[in-house]
Amino acid sequence: MSSVAILLIATLGLAVIFGLMGVINLAHGEFITFGAYAALLASGWGLPFPLAVGFATVSMALYGVLVERLIIRHLYNRIFDTLLATWGLSLVMYQAVVLTFGSVTPGIGMSPANLSVGDYSVSWYILFLILVAVFLILLTGLILTRTNYGMMARAAIQDSTMASAVGIESGRINTMTFALGSGLAGFAGAILLPAFPATPSMGFAFSIKAFLLVVVGGPVTLTGIVSSGGALGTIASVVANTWTTVLGDIVFLMATMLLLRIFPKGISENWRIKL
Amino acid sequence: MANKTLSRQQNFWLAPVAVTLVVALLSFFIEEYFAYVATSWLIFGLLGLSLSLMWGRAGLLSLGQTAFYGLGGYAGSIAAINFSHLTGNTLIWALPAGAAAGFVSAALIGGIIFYGRMGPLQATILTYVFTLLLWSVAVSFTTEIGTAVIGGDNGLANIPSLKLAFSKDAADLQVKEIFLVVLFISLAVYLALRYFVSSPFGIIIDCIRLDSVKTEFLGYDVRFRLLAFFSVSGSVAGIAGALFSLWANYLNPSVFSVQEALLVPVYVLVGGLGSLTGAFLGSFAVGGLSFWLGGGVAGGQTTLIIGICLIVTVLFFKKGLHGGAGVLLSYFKKKKESINRTAKVTDLAFGEKSLDFLTGHFLDVSPLTLATSAVTKTFGGVRPVNRVSESFLPGKVRCLIGPNGAGKSTFLRCLVGSHKIDSGKITLGEKNISRMESYARVQSGVGIKMQVSQVFSEKTVLENLWVAAYSKTGNMKAALSTAKGMLAALKMEQRRHVLAGNLSHGEKQWLDIGMVLCLRPAVILLDEPAAGMTDEEAKSLSSLMRFLAKQLTVIIVDHNMDFVRSLDADVIVLHQGEIFARGDMQQLAKNEKVLDIYLGRRKNVRNI
Repeated sequence: MSSVAILLIATLGLAVIFGLMGVINLAHGEFITFGAYAALLASGWGLPFPLAVGFATVSMALYGVLVERLIIRHLYNRIFDTLLATWGLSLVMYQAVVLTFGSVTPGIGMSPANLSVGDYSVSWYILFLILVAVFLILLTGLILTRTNYGMMARAAIQDSTMASAVGIESGRINTMTFALGSGLAGFAGAILLPAFPATPSMGFAFSIKAFLLVVVGGPVTLTGIVSSGGALGTIASVVANTWTTVLGDIVFLMATMLLLRIFPKGISENWRIKL
Repeated sequence: MANKTLSRQQNFWLAPVAVTLVVALLSFFIEEYFAYVATSWLIFGLLGLSLSLMWGRAGLLSLGQTAFYGLGGYAGSIAAINFSHLTGNTLIWALPAGAAAGFVSAALIGGIIFYGRMGPLQATILTYVFTLLLWSVAVSFTTEIGTAVIGGDNGLANIPSLKLAFSKDAADLQVKEIFLVVLFISLAVYLALRYFVSSPFGIIIDCIRLDSVKTEFLGYDVRFRLLAFFSVSGSVAGIAGALFSLWANYLNPSVFSVQEALLVPVYVLVGGLGSLTGAFLGSFAVGGLSFWLGGGVAGGQTTLIIGICLIVTVLFFKKGLHGGAGVLLSYFKKKKESINRTAKVTDLAFGEKSLDFLTGHFLDVSPLTLATSAVTKTFGGVRPVNRVSESFLPGKVRCLIGPNGAGKSTFLRCLVGSHKIDSGKITLGEKNISRMESYARVQSGVGIKMQVSQVFSEKTVLENLWVAAYSKTGNMKAALSTAKGMLAALKMEQRRHVLAGNLSHGEKQWLDIGMVLCLRPAVILLDEPAAGMTDEEAKSLSSLMRFLAKQLTVIIVDHNMDFVRSLDADVIVLHQGEIFARGDMQQLAKNEKVLDIYLGRRKNVRNI
């Protein structure tokens, strides 16, 4: 349950970007890393944990705006080029972290004392994460269905020509979507900090699984990843708890291949509910 | 002529051989260490070549090339460790074993991808997952095969070096000799692949990339061809892996790592997608850059710069280094083409003379009846085709008309197999084709032109016709003569070397029809063929269809009532997926119910 929650928290940003822009952001893992370091930096200034998380979210959202304007914007409708460009970006970001914070840092953990729920044991934190995951998914769902932005973004991905014909400025919408996705990634890095200490390569572990969840989830991303994440995460964590973590990973990958074989276009290919 | 037509260059081997010889000469003047490092660039170039083949030609970005490469490396070195004492020579064990391992593993993954008809993104991800899976397995996997010890994370050591001589005490080759051997192997693989992609098989792979649906409608088994092509690309990667293991004398699971997997597309992109030479250009450029930056093959602190290079390449050099050189050439080509574009089509296609050609062309095609019984297709709650039973025979043109959404196009798609029917039966002559894949139906004698004309935009007019004719004949020369005959019948001889993508809307329609006719089908299905044609052209098309219908089964869907009237056809009116009325146009024009559904009146029909 908790591993599913962690998986979903880490995936949501990627899913939003893929679902609303059709863009796979291979640098997603490094966005998470950046978020974690941003939160560390903020708490280094003496900010309490919730504020540090907020700082990480906002600063990553702004960073997302920058990346979208400089790189992603020029590669619309070239999904594999975007894939490679964002991979290049991930290399750059990884190296930037290494150069700034050193390459062999064992991870700058954050003592649980910094946490507002610090008095509780770790299991409370896990429970907290599950709540966060549920809250985050609901919030994203609400943003997509109840706000003007969400309506326009969903219109733009369904038929961008029609959307611009009714006056939706898809460029601006895409910038906002990318910012939202990056913000969510930053949030993930920060909120997971107590469980996953910051290291330059921390994002990597998340990004692969996040990436697979999104693709297996299919075109209807939000509910798609909840189901694919639920299925894959549960299977993998059961195996990992019973046997070894490596076997858990292997089963995760095998299950992914199996699901892709059964649903060649993703689980949600034929769903009627498009959210 | 045949060679020029099909863009096959007779002397394609001259330049690569010359370059190879120059490089071989140069190698005598370089330092040993540089030659050692450059050997690895060649090997990565081969690996890049395997991806360039798949990505540039077949359109699938495979991130599994390093998996085939790694498996090839492991298989090759296990073979070399166990058997090379028999011969001394290591190459004859490692290379075939590597190629076989790459071939088999690619065939396995390719089978899942292509026979599952997976989407492009999912296919890319699947290959990526495969690499990751191998990586997590290889890290903890330990075993002994003969005298080869696979030590998980510790890798596989004691791989014998490259030896050419056939004697038990054969000496290891010198560094520069290894470079030369790898160089000539690369040349051989490169030339073989160049020949391969310009063969009919390669041309069909090109067509699959451009429009896989159309390729299947021409009767080619797209899945099998892609699978075969992917397997070949896997075996090239396997050869690269085997060479790598002999060069490094050591292998560890990092060959399956994500960094490796993503580096391969970088070589291809930097060099230029779609060009086989580009893979080597790219590996030398990236390798040279890392080397110059001081990292050497070991990597080092070059990640940052490579990352930036990648972003810049993707953003600004869409066609890579190799493509940059082609820009000037294409400028001249374009000029020439623009002159061609102004050439007027003076004669109409399929005048009286052209029909003579068709008579000969269809001489030995025997008529076939296409029959449906209670064919039903459902999408969710909608049933666009509902229990349609009808026999279609030669004699008169058959037309399907009906208001928008009546199920006409869906019905055609069911007939050709791009929709699988939910229930009912479709027979072609005696054969039950209900469950057949599209290509098999086409091979049995069905030809279809969809509503939007489908032509291979980057191929010339003649090549388009040739690909269609080749599907039927399987013989290059016979296909060429059919294609030329059809070209003359279409009155498009002046346009033979124009790229199909540059044709006007009406010309594309004619070309598409010509391609269908090249297949010599016994049953012809046309979806709105007259759209985009002038009145004159529509008349000419109409007389062509009436001519063909004497011998063939012709089914046409159209909205243009004048056109339908001119066909003198037996018309079927479809309404909400069911056959609503039958008759010729005079009868139907008097049928009040038909007028009702077309005009949306409610006089005689409810439930509109």
